[in-house]
Amino acid sequence: CGAVVMAQKGARPYDRIGEQVFAKVDKINAELFTLTYGSIVTQLVKDYEDLGEVNTQLEKMGYNIGVRLIEEFLARSNVGRCADFTETAEVVAKVGFKMFLGITANVTDWDAEKKEFSLVLDDNPLTEFVELPESYNKLWYANILCGVIRGALEMVQMKVEATYVKCVLHGHDASEIRVVLKEILTDEIPASMRDE
Amino acid sequence: MGIKVVCASVIGKSNNPLYIRCFDSTEEALKFHYIVHSALDVVEEKSTAKKGASLDLYLGMLYPTEDYRVYGYTTNSKIKFIIVVQEDGDSHDQAIKNFFRKFHVLYANTVANPFYTPDDLITSRKFNEELEKQVKTV
Repeated sequence: CGAVVMAQKGARPYDRIGEQVFAKVDKINAELFTLTYGSIVTQLVKDYEDLGEVNTQLEKMGYNIGVRLIEEFLARSNVGRCADFTETAEVVAKVGFKMFLGITANVTDWDAEKKEFSLVLDDNPLTEFVELPESYNKLWYANILCGVIRGALEMVQMKVEATYVKCVLHGHDASEIRVVLKEILTDEIPASMRDE
Repeated sequence: MGIKVVCASVIGKSNNPLYIRCFDSTEEALKFHYIVHSALDVVEEKSTAKKGASLDLYLGMLYPTEDYRVYGYTTNSKIKFIIVVQEDGDSHDQAIKNFFRKFHVLYANTVANPFYTPDDLITSRKFNEELEKQVKTV
């Protein structure tokens, strides 16, 4: 019994941090946000026609957002350095998602080496009111989030790949993004600058 | 008890039907289509009758037939909701008003889908399911 209490005290209270930060940031109308994102997706579908290409474009857009969003996040949330990748996952799920989307995600399904995890989202403001037509099975509607995760983590020296594996718009109970750590980026002196 | 919605429909700006759903399997759907279509004339009448004064969205009973009564509700975007009800005895105006309000909200949610173009036929599965639920709890 004592051991359980100690383990709980050891875990940082990211839920609480997430809520505190969320309370401080500016909010906008949820419907406006949802409709704006919806029109971006439908326009991309019209322009590119191939759904796989739309997925790629959404991810690229997300990446551009992520590399900028991380600065805002670090400035506002005051979360210090993460000890390891598992902590990073918790921070992304509980503080990051809370701050920018107002929802918390759950971290599940770690692999043996702690290099991969799943982010499970029960609801997502981006997909509110959306129903995918039948032929759109290949489209990962909220794929922009995968790019945001990739862009943001790259700026804090982690190279990851984030992909959607389940989506509520495809009939699943919850949406799931699989995040895989590819490598930790360390600053290396380029060969040309080394004194040899 | 009291009311049973046997048909619900959504009519577009140019009086084109966007959605007609009949909940009474004993009657032929065509009969309801005809009833709804005739009701549109009454809607026109009511909309143009009141000059100047702002019109309540709820139009009330449009006309009675032998077994049914037809109610209408219009929006500022010229979308009309017409329902055919089977009532016994007194009219349950309040319940019908509430139903229309929820029907309107349901329609607004469906229009919010970025993959739905306004003035298209409504094929949303969610719309169908929600409407069924609401019809059952009138």
